[in-house]
Amino acid sequence: MAGSNGKGAKQISMSDLTRVRFTNLDKIMYPPLRITKKDVITYYIRMAPFMLPLLSNRPVTMHRFPDGINGENFYEKDAPQGTPDYVTQFTYYSESADREVHFVVCNNLDTLIWLANLASLEIHITLGTIRSYDSPDFLLFDIDPEPPLSFDNVIEVSRIIREHLENSGIQSYVKTSGKKGLHIVVPLKPGYRFGEIRDFSHGIGKNVAKDTPLVVSEFPHSRDPGTIFIDFLQNAEGKTMAAPYSLRGTPGATVSTPLLWDELKSGVRAEDFNIKTVILRKEEPWRGIFDNRQTIGK
Amino acid sequence: MTTGKRSGNKSRNHAYGEKDGVKPKAGTSSGKVPIKAISREGSMKKELAETPVIPHEGARDQKGTTGRPFWSGSITIGLVNVPVRLHTMVRDKSLSFRLLHKEDGQPLRYDRVCTKDDRVIPWTETVKGYEVRKGEYVIIEPDELKSIMPESSRKIRIEKFVYYLSLDPVYFETPYILTPDRSEEAYSLLVAALQELGRAAIGTITLRTKEYPVVVHVYGGGLVLTTLRYADEVTPPHVFESLAGLPVPKEAELQLAKRIITDLSGDFSMTDYHDRYREAVLSLIEKKLMGKKIVYEEPRPVEAKELMQALKDTLSSLSAK
Repeated sequence: MAGSNGKGAKQISMSDLTRVRFTNLDKIMYPPLRITKKDVITYYIRMAPFMLPLLSNRPVTMHRFPDGINGENFYEKDAPQGTPDYVTQFTYYSESADREVHFVVCNNLDTLIWLANLASLEIHITLGTIRSYDSPDFLLFDIDPEPPLSFDNVIEVSRIIREHLENSGIQSYVKTSGKKGLHIVVPLKPGYRFGEIRDFSHGIGKNVAKDTPLVVSEFPHSRDPGTIFIDFLQNAEGKTMAAPYSLRGTPGATVSTPLLWDELKSGVRAEDFNIKTVILRKEEPWRGIFDNRQTIGK
Repeated sequence: MTTGKRSGNKSRNHAYGEKDGVKPKAGTSSGKVPIKAISREGSMKKELAETPVIPHEGARDQKGTTGRPFWSGSITIGLVNVPVRLHTMVRDKSLSFRLLHKEDGQPLRYDRVCTKDDRVIPWTETVKGYEVRKGEYVIIEPDELKSIMPESSRKIRIEKFVYYLSLDPVYFETPYILTPDRSEEAYSLLVAALQELGRAAIGTITLRTKEYPVVVHVYGGGLVLTTLRYADEVTPPHVFESLAGLPVPKEAELQLAKRIITDLSGDFSMTDYHDRYREAVLSLIEKKLMGKKIVYEEPRPVEAKELMQALKDTLSSLSAK
């Protein structure tokens, strides 16, 4: 020590960088790829600069996989016992559950890390923020192919939806769902009701279905083989979507990845966007999304 | 055929609330350590103390008395039906512990292990057997059981009325609260009539797969249904030989014993009694959480290096924004 000018003082320790205390870092979360919880946490830390602005002020639903993707897993809306002080919470009376739900809101890096440490591989967010929970500022088209249709077909349909929106002067953003489909999202000016945006997205669905044989716009046909249902019903209070950059509990550790419309070409595969590849991406396709809020319906 | 049993307690509802998150470990040293952190808003260092989680029993308690009915049907007396709901009245408040791996503090799981080759057997490969002789089983298929299960008729069939005080409490098993199911008038009539006559109704109910004799009586302003044990489930004391040839006590001794009993006679209230062991365990747990440092796993150096590098990169990129 003598003469070393206080070596101990210089060294930064983990607790200087984060308030989160880690558990079970070497637990395997994705057995096929031998991805551990440390890898998952590292992923979320690295993605935080892109992710946090998009999660800001939105109630989170955790989808936790304590024993990895092959173990028991469950959705959790309530902040668990022992939720630390640095986690923002939002209390909302849920009519369906007939009780108050204490949502986690991911407004800082430590919360994101804490979620990852809880093995909440998937992070889902609502379409409204805590400031206006019953008034959405995201409109969502959730499009999934029914076999034998493929991701190529989904891409095709997503481009048609985009075109319909553009014809009405509306700009939209796209991301992979991380599973088989795509999510098209329109950031909205404040003040819309869920009923309005549901009707609007249903209307677009009907128009698209008119000229596109693959597409169905009505729920009773949503599971018809060889079709793509434009799910407008997700535009409802309390419904959630996988957050942008959320991992999914799939064998390939896929990520719900924001894309540039130009990237969506035939041949692109949903599995191409995963824990290993997304971290290397330079694009930030949803950058400035909240400075580009749209008006719908006239 | 099988050993062990499935743990009914899914870890989510465990006393510590979560499986994978912050949890106290056994055998830690005392003294709370404040955790230093960098405030994300500025660069000031703050000292925060992690608040330990006090185990509360809310989750378990709420389920009990006032929750949803677990059965609904009707009391049937001849041709009269009184729709009712059945609620839990008593609950076992004894504490349970989760068995952990001493080394890493992780909860253990029970597996069904074949006693012959020690293999873990999945549920799909199991069948029920009834042991007829040591090591000999009759295999019973689920369908066979189903066909002879009593039918759940959603009825509490009343067969007769008796004086409640004439009933023998050794047969009482579990009481449940009956509430009216949009049948307030009929329910109230039944309460009033039973009360004035001092009688209780005897009948049967089928709960899950078992048919029980029951007694329904007026208690605390409502009807309480108590399942009864079958006669052959209760051992009568006279089977004990030591009770057969009891000597006749001497008169003087009897007088003395009676005086002592009379002197100690009085009223008693159930609330005077508490499960002191349970209270002691709870206070022990509380003390452990309050006074002791909650120990977390320290990342191994390699893990720590990678995490810290990511943290440094992200923190500098966040502060640049």
